[in-house]
Amino acid sequence: MIQTNKLTKIFRTEDVETYALNEVSMEVKRGEFVAIMGPSGCGKSTLLNIIGLLDNPSGGEYYFDGTEVGSYKERQRTMMRKGNIGFVFQSFNLIDELTVYENVELPLIYLKKKASERKEMVTAVLERMKIGHRAKHFPQQLSGGQQQRVAIGRAVVANPKLILADEPTGNLDSKNGLEVMNLLTELNREGTTIIMVTHSMHDAGFAHRVINLFDGEILTENVNEKMADIL
Amino acid sequence: MLFQYIFRNIKKRPFLNFIKVLGLALGLSGVLFISLFLKNELTYDSFHNKADRIYRLTYTNPGIFGNNHFARIYNSEQVPDLAAHFPEIENYARLAPLRGGVMMHNERYYSINEAFVCDSSFFRVFDTELLVGNKHTVLEAPGSMVVSEAFAQKVFGDESAVGKIISLPAGQFYARQTDFTVKGVMENFPQNSHFHPDLIATPAQDEISWWAYTYLLLKEHANPENITAGYSQFTALKAEEFGGESETKAYLQPITDIHLHSDKLREIEANSNMTNIYVLSVAAFILLLISMSNYASLNLGMAGFNNKFVTINRILGSTRNMNLKYFFAESLFIVLVSTLVALAIGVLVNSLIAHHFGIHLFRGNSSFIALVVSFFGLLGILSGLQPVLKQRVGQIQQGKQSLIKSNKIKVSQGIIISQYIFAIGLIVAVIIISRQNRFVLENSLGAGHKNIICFESVHANVQQKFEIFKSELLKHSSIESVSAMLEPPGGEANDMFPFEMEGYSKAEKERPNMIGVFPCDYSFAELFNLDFLSGNNFSQNNSDTEGSGEFLINETAMQFLNYNNPQEIIGKEFRLISPNPEVTVPQGKIVGVVKDFHLSSLKKRVEPLVLFKRDKLWLLNFVVSFKPGMRQTALSDISSLWQELFPAYPFIYEDVDVLYKKVYKTELLQARLLSIFTFISIFISSMGLLGISLLVSQQQTKEIGIRKVNGAKVSEILAMLNKDFIKWVVIAFVIATPIAYYAMNKWLENFAYKTTLSWWVFALSGMLALGIALLTVSWQSWRAATRNPVEALRYE
Ligand SMILES: Nc1ncnc2c1ncn2[C@@H]1O[C@H](COP(=O)(O)OP(=O)(O)OP(=O)(O)O)[C@@H](O)[C@H]1O
Ligand SMILES: [Mg+2]
Repeated sequence: MIQTNKLTKIFRTEDVETYALNEVSMEVKRGEFVAIMGPSGCGKSTLLNIIGLLDNPSGGEYYFDGTEVGSYKERQRTMMRKGNIGFVFQSFNLIDELTVYENVELPLIYLKKKASERKEMVTAVLERMKIGHRAKHFPQQLSGGQQQRVAIGRAVVANPKLILADEPTGNLDSKNGLEVMNLLTELNREGTTIIMVTHSMHDAGFAHRVINLFDGEILTENVNEKMADIL
Repeated sequence: MLFQYIFRNIKKRPFLNFIKVLGLALGLSGVLFISLFLKNELTYDSFHNKADRIYRLTYTNPGIFGNNHFARIYNSEQVPDLAAHFPEIENYARLAPLRGGVMMHNERYYSINEAFVCDSSFFRVFDTELLVGNKHTVLEAPGSMVVSEAFAQKVFGDESAVGKIISLPAGQFYARQTDFTVKGVMENFPQNSHFHPDLIATPAQDEISWWAYTYLLLKEHANPENITAGYSQFTALKAEEFGGESETKAYLQPITDIHLHSDKLREIEANSNMTNIYVLSVAAFILLLISMSNYASLNLGMAGFNNKFVTINRILGSTRNMNLKYFFAESLFIVLVSTLVALAIGVLVNSLIAHHFGIHLFRGNSSFIALVVSFFGLLGILSGLQPVLKQRVGQIQQGKQSLIKSNKIKVSQGIIISQYIFAIGLIVAVIIISRQNRFVLENSLGAGHKNIICFESVHANVQQKFEIFKSELLKHSSIESVSAMLEPPGGEANDMFPFEMEGYSKAEKERPNMIGVFPCDYSFAELFNLDFLSGNNFSQNNSDTEGSGEFLINETAMQFLNYNNPQEIIGKEFRLISPNPEVTVPQGKIVGVVKDFHLSSLKKRVEPLVLFKRDKLWLLNFVVSFKPGMRQTALSDISSLWQELFPAYPFIYEDVDVLYKKVYKTELLQARLLSIFTFISIFISSMGLLGISLLVSQQQTKEIGIRKVNGAKVSEILAMLNKDFIKWVVIAFVIATPIAYYAMNKWLENFAYKTTLSWWVFALSGMLALGIALLTVSWQSWRAATRNPVEALRYE
């Protein structure tokens, strides 16, 4: 489903050039659950953003479902991303001025779904995230765990093939973190491909495979033994 | 400590603070100049020491001149008796205009704009400094003259004027030459005077009589109404002497009211009016509101954005009054800087105005300027305190209910909407005033042709040679047509004669049996391209002998004479009765009816007018039209002929367009000033809106990023960001339209003939306002919408 070939990302600021990614080649198959790990600043978020079509690589190729998308313009990336990729962030990234319901509804609006359809889908997702009773609340009225469940709800409401999660448990205590990991695992079981950046070995344990990044390069890739049989 | 912190905050957001200063500075300079201009307009003629006691006397009489209200009186000879009759009158000064347009010195003629024969009491009523001579004695002797500094300079150069002889040459107005001796030189009358004489002189032989502008100096605390009310008794008393004029009504108008409240016939100079004052006051008020509200709304926005309160409190310790202190100090600083910038702009603009218009608005007004500046500064500081004041009010009102949205910038929709109400209103006003100005100029007789010039009020000796002047000029290929007429373009055709017409009986109607007359050369209709509704122009060889005279009448005259069909009135016998036995006027037939033309201001209705031709009678103004593109040749042809025929007389002409522009100078100035202030207002509002959009989009950076991550296209983000601004402009449009419609309708009431208030003017203004608003916010919105969402979400 995802294949990169010598993917490179260079950030230029004034006179410093940062190689955030240096010739990263990797592959993720449909249905996989992959964790990306590595020290801070090694390029994990950068890689995730490029995979998520939020950003362009400076070099190399990126195939999404067989199509080269690394050179896509912003418009094309947006079209490709819509409905196909859902995001979950460490800091939840909910819109404070919108209610829980409206936050989850957001991707459907940009997919131009009808209001009745939207209502059905949002209600279903909120139920599933066990947050239905909070539909009319604003994000700041919720706990961190609840907020992240809303964010996951928003990521999955349009039934994307791929979910990208950047340290989804980073701001949560272990109980809420576990809940989030269970949700992601469940989604993966149902067939959603998941790529997750994490600092936690514990969380990485939920993935089938762990990619270790260091200074913008893939250091090792190891298949999680516990999970290997599932593959 | 406090100021250090203020500087740091200002440095942090240089652009927004620049906008604040610029908005206030432009607002202040605009308000300052309008106030100075208005002060100048409102203090006309108040430089006379006794200004509060000087009144101008005027009359109306239904039996004389069709009840028209002239600025001067026709029976000025009775004024001495009047002054003796009413104890309220302390003194009087009559100004009888010297006609003919030229004065003579050493066999050279010098053109004059305004000159009067006056009473020797002139300087006891009016005040102007004498540079040479003694106010009390200078006009004592008959035939004494006082010339203005400028006129003295023109005639005598650096030589002393005193003792020189200046003569009023003989001509059609004066049977023989009159000599005056210059006894003094006076300062030019100040710009804010309703008259500016080149010279004044006491009568040499005769008493002042017939037409004269008449000013009465009343005693202290005297009531002018005693005179106006008692006037009929006075006339009754004098009935044997002057004939029974029981119908005459007298009016006394304070001299200080003339400039703004007088629009009578034959004013000495075109006056301004209150509409002008209202329009500019509104403009100043709007400018004030806009610059204040702009500053307030930017301050509100920035306060919310910076979370200033929190930071301030943390750094400076959280006493309750610290916020107030901080905002006060910051406002004071911003206002001070703005004032300095405004004064710099002011000095520059002032010198420009002084250079181009000779009006020194700053001179002698330092305390007034200080007053305006401090008033503006106080308001500015108050506006700067808005965030604190609002916060306090908010705390009291709603406690801590709205915690959720506390991070959101408080954009003052009300302020933005009202700014756009003003912007749209101003744009409407500018368009309509400009359109009306164009309308009046285009519809004026002969205007817009760009190739007609006029020699105004030429001397009788010049008039005598009109036929030669005409026939010689027509030999040149550059000249198209030559004519002459009683009044110049833009003048007032007020003269009326009694008349008789076949089939017209005066008994059946109340109206006086008088009609406006307009002697002109036979090429008049051709030169000005008059539209004939029926009949023909005068015949070229018409020799106005008894019975064969020819008359053209305008459409209004036809209706006045009770005809509706222009064909039917052709050939009717018509006769004018000369009020003066020395002047014979033609009798004959009506030969043509022309569509009404606008020789005079379009503010007034066209009056019934009879055009006739009479050799050498009252052809005071020469007009010449030349072929397109041959202006230079034509002018040199005319000039050389003039030197040949009239070497002693000044060669002074004016484009017809310029003459009309003089008639509408107030309106044209109004349009110009209003466009400038509209531009400034819109500029300030746009800067403010730019600042607000900057704050809004900065504040929404995260939201925009989130929306983009979730599939929003750039266009959708743009729509989201601009939606509110569009909504506000639309609301402003809905509110502004009826107000502007009403106001402009009122303004147009000044004119008898006007353009229509077309709907598209409003639509255009709305679209313009919307366009400007969108252009302003779109730059910022576009930057926000195209920003990489990754960046937006990176720092949270
Ligand atoms: N927009 C940018 N401009 C300049 N440099 C950037 C930018 N984004 C990332 N970088 C740099 O690229 C490198 C990789 O950053 P990235 O955010 O991918 O790291 P990360 O692995 O996600 O770190 P963390 O675990 O702290 O989130 C870093 O050195 C970072 O400073
Ligand atoms: Mg990261």
